[in-house]
Amino acid sequence: MNKILLLTLILISQISYAEKNHDSHSNEGSHDMSKDKKIDGSKYKINTKRYTDFIKDLSDVQIAIVDVKGMVCDFCARGIAKTFYKDVAVIKVDVDLEKGKVFIAYSKSVKIDFEDIKDKITKNGQTATTMQIKKL
Amino acid sequence: MGIIKHRAILTLCSLVFILSTNVNARPISWPGGNTYMYKSDATKTSKNYHYSPSYKYSIGVEFVNDKYFTEEYINFRGTYLLDRRNTKKSQRNFYITGALSGKSSNNFFYGAHGDWETRRFFTSISYINRYTKLKNYTEKELQFGVAPYLGEYGDIHTWVMIKAKRNTINDNWETYPFIKLFTGDYMVEIGNKNSHWDLHFMARF
Repeated sequence: MNKILLLTLILISQISYAEKNHDSHSNEGSHDMSKDKKIDGSKYKINTKRYTDFIKDLSDVQIAIVDVKGMVCDFCARGIAKTFYKDVAVIKVDVDLEKGKVFIAYSKSVKIDFEDIKDKITKNGQTATTMQIKKL
Repeated sequence: MGIIKHRAILTLCSLVFILSTNVNARPISWPGGNTYMYKSDATKTSKNYHYSPSYKYSIGVEFVNDKYFTEEYINFRGTYLLDRRNTKKSQRNFYITGALSGKSSNNFFYGAHGDWETRRFFTSISYINRYTKLKNYTEKELQFGVAPYLGEYGDIHTWVMIKAKRNTINDNWETYPFIKLFTGDYMVEIGNKNSHWDLHFMARF
């Protein structure tokens, strides 16, 4: 049984290493898609229905769509939502687990700071890699 | 001296590579988060509260009813996230943990816990050394789980799991299935082995 323990540990390490290399191809930074009138889910790799539900009662806001690594379960994402709701500039938060995105609605008067968002997500234990901004 | 050094290296390896206790769910919450856990199996029942100042560590207190040694005591315990690897589709964690009993300086434990998880699969491994006045022993545990469906944020999430555990008191492996359900800030695990129920409830707030 000790061999099984060791093999399991090795397997975990190898899978993590392989996925790390795979993810290293992703780009970091932010992208302003404020001129987009409608989100194309396949283009921006989001769950279109989830996003549509998120914005249906929102207007005159800007949405930060943040790509997050390590957000593999509902429990992991709870802290992210709670952290952003402490920010008075944040109107609404939702999580797209399928695509690994966080939607954050800010009032239009706020300048969205990707570094601040990255910092909040890092302090929650996940890793933010890219951000897109959509204005409604 | 050589034996002592050898044991120290083994212990260090246990801490770093294989890992701790009966920590089945994430033993650390979000920064500023509180967690209450109730856990019961054939050997003990425990009620555990911990606070996480950051995502890296938690500190807490555990009320233990040890059914095997028929004693009750309080543990002051801590857990530290030694390493975490986030990828787009997975997360891997290594924790170390330990506790001192309020009853006696002879009562304490230390160990480590590792897990790797995607939205579909979960696996974990843990190892703990327990020291008591009556007997010292180790506990090892392996878990593997599959999510039969992929729930979205806010849904009820279900995991069909299998657990294998062994302690050096009984010195045999017990393997049995269990089910894990969680939604929002609440989680329940239920399993059954030889008419003994394993129950684990967790709430975060």
